[in-house]
Amino acid sequence: MNLLLAPGLALALVAWGTIVGVDLVSAPQGLLSRPLVAAAVSGWLLGDVAAGLQVGLVLECFALDVLPVGAAEYPDYGPAAVGATLYAAGRTGLGGLGVATGIGLAMAVVGGWSLLWIRHANTRAVHRQAVALAAGDRTAIRRLQRAGLLRDIGRSAGLTVLAMAVALASAQIGLPVGPRADLVGIAAIGAALAAVATGAVRSAGRGPRLAWLGAGALLGLLWVGLG
Amino acid sequence: MTGRLRALWRLLSLQATWNFERMQGIGMGHAAEPLLEGLRATDAARQAEAVVRSAEFFNCHPYLAGVALGATVRAEYDGVPGPQIVRLRTALCGPLGALGDRLFWIGLVPLMVSAAALAVVEGAGLSAIVVLVASYNVLRLATGAWALEAGLRSGIRVSSEITGSWLTRAAEGVGPAAGLLVGIAIPKVAASLLAGAGAPLVSGALILALAGAALALRFGSAASPVRLGLVAILLTLLYAGR
Repeated sequence: MNLLLAPGLALALVAWGTIVGVDLVSAPQGLLSRPLVAAAVSGWLLGDVAAGLQVGLVLECFALDVLPVGAAEYPDYGPAAVGATLYAAGRTGLGGLGVATGIGLAMAVVGGWSLLWIRHANTRAVHRQAVALAAGDRTAIRRLQRAGLLRDIGRSAGLTVLAMAVALASAQIGLPVGPRADLVGIAAIGAALAAVATGAVRSAGRGPRLAWLGAGALLGLLWVGLG
Repeated sequence: MTGRLRALWRLLSLQATWNFERMQGIGMGHAAEPLLEGLRATDAARQAEAVVRSAEFFNCHPYLAGVALGATVRAEYDGVPGPQIVRLRTALCGPLGALGDRLFWIGLVPLMVSAAALAVVEGAGLSAIVVLVASYNVLRLATGAWALEAGLRSGIRVSSEITGSWLTRAAEGVGPAAGLLVGIAIPKVAASLLAGAGAPLVSGALILALAGAALALRFGSAASPVRLGLVAILLTLLYAGR
């Protein structure tokens, strides 16, 4: 990976990270924030679609364990996937994928904290407008909505810049090389498979979906064996 | 743009002001505004009250919020007493939330993402991502439009409209399909990510996966796979860097 990003490319990545960050909760919640989507497009922007898809697949396994409901705290994988792909682009081998996954997971957790911060900030803003809201002031509603959206745009842009900075700094530190480096990737893939299996079993519960999940896993194993 | 289209557009940013006090309330008030415009000419006082009610506490699945929005707006035009409208709105939160979560968050999303992941490991590349985003958003927008229309059509009787609709049948049907697709995708994605790795490394990944899943299922969020992943990556990085 080139440590000095062209300004146009850096801007495009920040813009994409901002879009996917806002997509998670604020608007339009159209799957752009899924790590598979966020990383694939980042890979395309960076000229390495394969790296983006690979990072996206690993982080998607973690994201499938998440139910993004109401006041629950959950990681934000979108901007994190942009940073992770920036690290992985141009690298081969499991070691690079492992470090990229580490960056993605750490930034997704930070993203989750930033979501809590923004919800508290929104709550304070609503408090400040309590009198206007009680009077049915439509401009107060519009103002709050605009401010909430702008807050999330700022959060997502900041998070993307941070994820990219972490990726560039990690690249500068340098990755361990040799057969041992592959273990980092193995750790990441193992944890990702644990995550997707956990999420699948939790979602299935004890109903018929569990049987369908088991049947699917058998079919998948058969497919792998035959292929 | 008509009032309905503006409301639909605004519903896309329903959660922009999500907060711990009113949750989606402000977003609902924002989306309700164009629909309540017509009330001002006939009953300005009622319209002012309706605006206040529209921005009060609300929380449900964001794609199905249009049902509650349409139903309460229709009830405002029908002259239903305010407290009854508030009760209707509150009563719709739980069922619409549960239905939407089943249909989308634990149904269509894992189903379609798994299908896209399978397409990616089979070599479809970026086109799989484009198809995923396009098809999901067609479904999501169509559901949102239907939800608003259903609410506006039925008003205070919206519960029976939802109970007898395609939505409940779809939510029941999508679960097994999602289970099947996720089940197929897990070994395929694992095989793709571990392609080229030697038998000891593959065994290591699978042992970590089984142990991690067992820990997470046994101890819940205290042993989440994200934590496991961060710890495992950090430890192997330290080992590899020695």
